[in-house]
Amino acid sequence: MKRLKKLTVLLLGCLMLLALTGCGASNDGKTHLTFQIWDVAQRDGMQAVADAYTAQHPDVVIEVQVTSWGEYWTKLEASAISNQMPDIFWMHTNEILKYADYGMLADVTDLYADESSTYYEDHFSEVSRSNSQGSDGRMYGVPKDKDTVCLVYNREMFDAANVAYPDESWTWDDLIAASQQIYDVTGKYGYMAYGDDQLGYWNFVYQNGGYILAEDNLTGGYTQPATMEAMGVYIGFQKEDWCPDQNYFAETSPGTAFFSEQGAMFFEGNWNLLNEMLNYPDMQGKWDVAVLPKCPNPQSGDGRATISNGLSYATSAKGKNREIALDVLRFFGSEEGQRIQGESGAAIPAYNGLEDTWIGVFDQFGYKLDVQKCVDMFEYGVQSVNNAYRSVWKTKVNDELLRIYSGKVSLEEGLAHMQEYVDTAALDD
Amino acid sequence: MAKTTSVSKSTKHGRSESMWGYIMVAPTIIGLLVLNMYPFIDTLKLSFTKTKPFGLYKFNGITNYITMFTSAEFWRANWNTIYFCILTVPLGVFLALVVAVMLNKKIKGQTAFRAIFFLPMVVAPAAVTMVWRWMFNTEYGIINTLIGNGVNWVTNPNLVIITCSIIAIWSSIGYDAVLLLSGLQNISKSYYEAASLDGATKIQQFFHITLPMVSPTLFVVMIMRLMSSLKVYDLIYMMVEESNPALTSAQSLMYLFYRESFVAGNKGYGSAIVIWTVLLIGLVTAVQFWGQKKWVNYEV
Repeated sequence: MKRLKKLTVLLLGCLMLLALTGCGASNDGKTHLTFQIWDVAQRDGMQAVADAYTAQHPDVVIEVQVTSWGEYWTKLEASAISNQMPDIFWMHTNEILKYADYGMLADVTDLYADESSTYYEDHFSEVSRSNSQGSDGRMYGVPKDKDTVCLVYNREMFDAANVAYPDESWTWDDLIAASQQIYDVTGKYGYMAYGDDQLGYWNFVYQNGGYILAEDNLTGGYTQPATMEAMGVYIGFQKEDWCPDQNYFAETSPGTAFFSEQGAMFFEGNWNLLNEMLNYPDMQGKWDVAVLPKCPNPQSGDGRATISNGLSYATSAKGKNREIALDVLRFFGSEEGQRIQGESGAAIPAYNGLEDTWIGVFDQFGYKLDVQKCVDMFEYGVQSVNNAYRSVWKTKVNDELLRIYSGKVSLEEGLAHMQEYVDTAALDD
Repeated sequence: MAKTTSVSKSTKHGRSESMWGYIMVAPTIIGLLVLNMYPFIDTLKLSFTKTKPFGLYKFNGITNYITMFTSAEFWRANWNTIYFCILTVPLGVFLALVVAVMLNKKIKGQTAFRAIFFLPMVVAPAAVTMVWRWMFNTEYGIINTLIGNGVNWVTNPNLVIITCSIIAIWSSIGYDAVLLLSGLQNISKSYYEAASLDGATKIQQFFHITLPMVSPTLFVVMIMRLMSSLKVYDLIYMMVEESNPALTSAQSLMYLFYRESFVAGNKGYGSAIVIWTVLLIGLVTAVQFWGQKKWVNYEV
């Protein structure tokens, strides 16, 4: 009887151990790498790039894992603390400074040293490189893609209101006039200006010659005259008949409103266009893409700007497969790796000269979207706003923007508060 | 000699018995210590620190608590949470009791009705909220279409908590009703027979027999409902997005904790909010246990 008990305990113990080690590595003699991303729409594209690498290196297996954007950063930070980061992962400009400055990312500045000492300078734009750098100016990721913000418009509504389609000559005044005309004739909303930074007011601020962060990348620019003027214009749009108010946008995103034909225009990131073509087949041919309207009388500059962001591929500074992971990154940043990414339609490759691979993806549709416009705008792209303390001030600035929209504070007061949040975030460290 | 042997034998036996006892409860105890106690103590510690990314921190005394108690946003979150409890607990539990009493009657399709009322419990809360969100949509929602009015259910600062409460009550009614139903079924039929012989009306029977007899279950249900209402998070998170101007009027304590800890990355301050919430729940529960002496009947 006693022996039976002991045996049972032993068996149970073994079972528990088995359960614990169940997630161990497989024994096929190959190196298994995990590749963590957050965008399910790019899974196939990323798998294609990974497969191209493993075709040349049969002893390596790369598994693409997708985690939603919301969970991605919580998970990545936890894995960084316990030194169990995925072998390869995407980095975003919002977070790269934090990860790089705390020594979590492998320094890849010299990754291509044997090939060319100016590899990054030769093949990637300054914006792309800045998006992959830590505060010390070294490269902590291989540039993956680059993006711009563009104006998306409903052709049918423009036709109905007898307004010419937006083109390079468009200014804010044309945007307003067209919105009013469309609203008067069709009863639909014109330009849908919602409370967003990257896809909203940042573009207007930089077009007007203002800035969100000053040269030192620490001090805010919210009380700078050009910034204040541009934000006044942008926030003021919601007071017009032709623009829904923030209450509306809290329930219905501008994208949803646009593709259910409730509004004629909104600012969209080019990374969403392919999905929108696929997800709204009935809308194909009814809408198109244009460059952002420029500021008619900027306080400085030529009135042109679009926020240009980009991701990078990174690996852990202390990962156990670090050497192989670095080799994979090297491939991902090569012309071949970037070309496969572009052709899969995942995003515009960061590698200069490969923009057409992404444009070509849109040939599959009956109506060819004018995505060339997204690429044209790189010329005057402005790097997405970021500093090491952005996570501290981001939510506060967002809440303050909502208070301005709901009239709890005046524009001047609100902007002064935003300025304070940005300035003190750096001091508080 | 014989005596000592027997004593030593029995102690040995007792020792091995208790050892087996410990081994048997060990998995649960270890689980509790590792998964509940350790994180709790860690949270307590974190609440006295200024946290930096990647688990780094430095102690800063009670700074977080001072910041918290002087923050208008924090007090607003307290009020939002308590307001949510006031709206959901009494009404929700009362409605659950009404449903339970009705389900206890012998009617056709009794089992089907019980299943229907329990159904919200087996649906993922996130999915429930998604559907309700569309129903409450100002422009295109079915509720505004029916009442023919443009009520801002989700974006009006004065309404948003009420909207969330409606969904919370709808989701919890079935589960509470099933618990109460089990309490109702333990009441002996003979009480009702005796009462009706004495000429008591149905209403009198409810207040003088049903209510006192079901009060222990009612007490449990109320405690559970109150605790989960004080911890409300997912519902509000799903209903109120960061772009909603009514955000500060809807933000519960747990939502505030989430935003501070995981969006702003200030885990020390977030921990202070959690510790405060634990104290608040403890206080409210203590008051309930003290108050139960006045109304809960444990005699059969």
